[in-house]
Amino acid sequence: MNNKNKTASGKLLNLLGNNAVPIMFIIIIAFCIPISGFSSLFLLNEIMTRLSRNTFLILSLLIPIMAGMGLNFGMTLGAMAAEIALIFTSDWQIWGIPGIVLAMIMSIPISAVLGLVCGKILNAAKGREMITSYIISFFMNGVYQLVVLYMMGSIIPIVHNNIKLPRGYGVRASVDLTRIRKALDNVLSVNIGGVNIPVLTLLIIAAMCLVIVWFRRTKLGQDMRAVGQDMEVARAAGIDVEGTRIISIVISTVLAGIGMVIYLQNMGDMATYSSHSQIGMFCIAALLVGGASVDKASIGNVFLGVILFHTMFILAPSAGAKITGNEVVGEYFRVFVSYGVITVALVMYETKKRRAKAGMGAQLAAAQQEGDKR
Amino acid sequence: MSEVKEIKRTFIDGVRENLKSFGLPRLIITAFLLLMFIIAPFTGANFWVQITNVINRFSWNAVLVLAMVPMVHSGCGLNFGLPVGIIAGLLGATLSIEWGFIGPMSFVMAIVIATPFALLFGLAYGWLLNKIKGGEMMIATYVGFSVVSFFCMMWLVLPYKKPDMAWGFEGTGLRTTFPIDKYYGGVLSNFLRIQIGRLVIPTGALLFFALLALMIWAFLHTKTGTAMTAVGSNATFARAAGINVDRIRMLSVVMSTWLAAVGILVYEQGFGFVQLYNAPFNMALPAVSAILIGGATANKASITNVIIGTILFQGMVTMTPTVMNGLINLDISEVLRVVVSNGMILYALTRKTEATR
Amino acid sequence: MNKRRILFSAAAILLLIAIAACMMVIGRGHTMYFDNKKLEYEGQTYDTYRRINVFVGGEQVAKLSAKDRGMATFMGQKLSFDIEVTKEKGDEPVTYSYTVKVPYKEDGIVLNLPGMIAGLPEEAYTTVFVPMVTEDEGADEEIVIDEFGMSDVTEGEDTEP
Repeated sequence: MNNKNKTASGKLLNLLGNNAVPIMFIIIIAFCIPISGFSSLFLLNEIMTRLSRNTFLILSLLIPIMAGMGLNFGMTLGAMAAEIALIFTSDWQIWGIPGIVLAMIMSIPISAVLGLVCGKILNAAKGREMITSYIISFFMNGVYQLVVLYMMGSIIPIVHNNIKLPRGYGVRASVDLTRIRKALDNVLSVNIGGVNIPVLTLLIIAAMCLVIVWFRRTKLGQDMRAVGQDMEVARAAGIDVEGTRIISIVISTVLAGIGMVIYLQNMGDMATYSSHSQIGMFCIAALLVGGASVDKASIGNVFLGVILFHTMFILAPSAGAKITGNEVVGEYFRVFVSYGVITVALVMYETKKRRAKAGMGAQLAAAQQEGDKR
Repeated sequence: MSEVKEIKRTFIDGVRENLKSFGLPRLIITAFLLLMFIIAPFTGANFWVQITNVINRFSWNAVLVLAMVPMVHSGCGLNFGLPVGIIAGLLGATLSIEWGFIGPMSFVMAIVIATPFALLFGLAYGWLLNKIKGGEMMIATYVGFSVVSFFCMMWLVLPYKKPDMAWGFEGTGLRTTFPIDKYYGGVLSNFLRIQIGRLVIPTGALLFFALLALMIWAFLHTKTGTAMTAVGSNATFARAAGINVDRIRMLSVVMSTWLAAVGILVYEQGFGFVQLYNAPFNMALPAVSAILIGGATANKASITNVIIGTILFQGMVTMTPTVMNGLINLDISEVLRVVVSNGMILYALTRKTEATR
Repeated sequence: MNKRRILFSAAAILLLIAIAACMMVIGRGHTMYFDNKKLEYEGQTYDTYRRINVFVGGEQVAKLSAKDRGMATFMGQKLSFDIEVTKEKGDEPVTYSYTVKVPYKEDGIVLNLPGMIAGLPEEAYTTVFVPMVTEDEGADEEIVIDEFGMSDVTEGEDTEP
């Protein structure tokens, strides 16, 4: 009886512990909404915008988690591919939906190659995937700058002066995307009670969710989960572990590229040298806020995460301004929270891993003792 | 005759062996730097000015790179959490100025004030790293970021009053950057400074680094120091030998953090400015890649690695802009720095045998 | 990899390329400029009109007095538009419909409406639009490479009005 009670309360504690981050966020938000003084209509509109803008990007993180490679900080590579594609489509003046579709298609080969390189490197750094993919994103950022800042306009033809820097080569710090701005969002968009709903974008996101659900059941998806569970067991079962891991990163990078096009068409403006650098951090933080962990993430985590994280993002500056009299404090606060959430999630994951290992060791020892007794 | 051949062969083998241990990336960087020095005079840059620049930047950065050593030794991996110590140093710097210390005294007091903070942060940081053995590097990175972004808020909120540092009008919050000429700007660099023609040697700063390096070197040869090396090379073995692994690791983290705090103060006295808010974000990666360029691995690092690495890295950073600009009027040095430093870290992370963590 | 799979992926790639090519054709944006300006052609002068209204798809895109220039942007390689012309004050407006093709590689072309209304050959009233070479205000835009992208963390995510 006593034992049973213990497990029940343990379960509750576990539930709370596993969902500590989302619960904390709900409390922060509940605290901030009245202080910020925003109308619910404004908030709903903002959340809807961010939901359509960011969800696809975050979905790209799910597959590497499935394959046991942790949070793919290398999704930045996909974002870079999308930006390169968008620079070209802007220069060729392909507008509207065709421009978006073309940018998506063009981003695919670039993302795939970058993903392939990233996957190969990660295979050489097993067990350190996250820090490695994190450094890869910085490394590739340097390569991206080399291409965009020095090669575009000199080696790679760029025609228009509103994209090229006045010195004759390199791309300007900001590329104007007004010609594709919200082209996707505005198709089939409906307005319900003052809230603008970009139906087509949401449909694309829904389709992507279905694809992920379907993918989990395919042979490849099953293989990935097996690799994620235990690489050695998977290898013994005849699965090409290295290949599967590379594929998972390639898929993630390609999806991130497509997601970045969706993101930027909503923004309508592209910061050539910085749009991608923050995107990885924000997407990962949002996913973790939704209750995901380094080794487990679901589509539900994605949606919950986007809503909670971005609500906090909208509220923080004005709440900070009201509390401390300084809006900048709120802006720093949300950056702090983003980093803090990632830190907490990483710490929880590592301690859990260690505890599991210790638990297994204890079990093994107990079993051995039992055997000795006999 | 055959003996000569034998000797020759062993000599060649020795060279090859040395090259191998030197590592290809390091070789490329060294060759690149030498090439830069050879080309530099042709681009109109004065050789001695270049040398001065490299020595100067070495003296600013070397202590920050040195801060990597204890943690690498105890097996905590590369200290991506360097900003934690930097923040302690910044607290020391700002408080020392706030409390009215000037001149060389402000530098001494900055170190004195930074020390308890460094100890406190180091203990907390070390405790955390002991909880998550095996995942140090990633978590260290994010702990660093969290602390820096937390202190972004603090710099605004804490009641600093000194007009040299605080925003004048509203009277709240510190400036992002402020000069420290009146305080400890150049206190080390100008101490016993030697000037020969256009070559300037910041003797004081070099001596200060030498002192710290000597201390670390001596420490690593004490009983605790050898225990630290033992923990780093094989934790299970060390535990079996009766060493308290967690305590040694904790000690190494505290040492790294304190060195980082001192390191940022040394950097500031050379640079002449204190940079707050987002500046510490960018400081871990250059230090990490410098020590790796110097030949360290994720669990092996020596003072020599620090010196060679800092010279190579800072040499690259200072030489490329001048040479590139003079040669083709194209400054790709920033991009080059990003690619080389991160490439170096990637190289180290993908070595199977070297980095077990 | 078996044969079917290779065939399938090849087909998928071809399909994507086909879609991309299609998008490049239908999505190519151009700008059409409408000039209500005096035109000299083979010794004859075609005078401006008092007022010309330009409609694309029933929507008014330009309202031109004498010597004015209007513009319309569109996707694809041809544009159909209607113009409503008033010669002198008090005249009844006359409506014409035109469809003009634009070469793929040109970003914009200029139509001289008086010449066009007079029924001149195409080369008489179309010119390729050449953007004015403006001295850039910032001369050389400073590109700040920020390794951590932190300096604009406050703007980047939140520029949305």
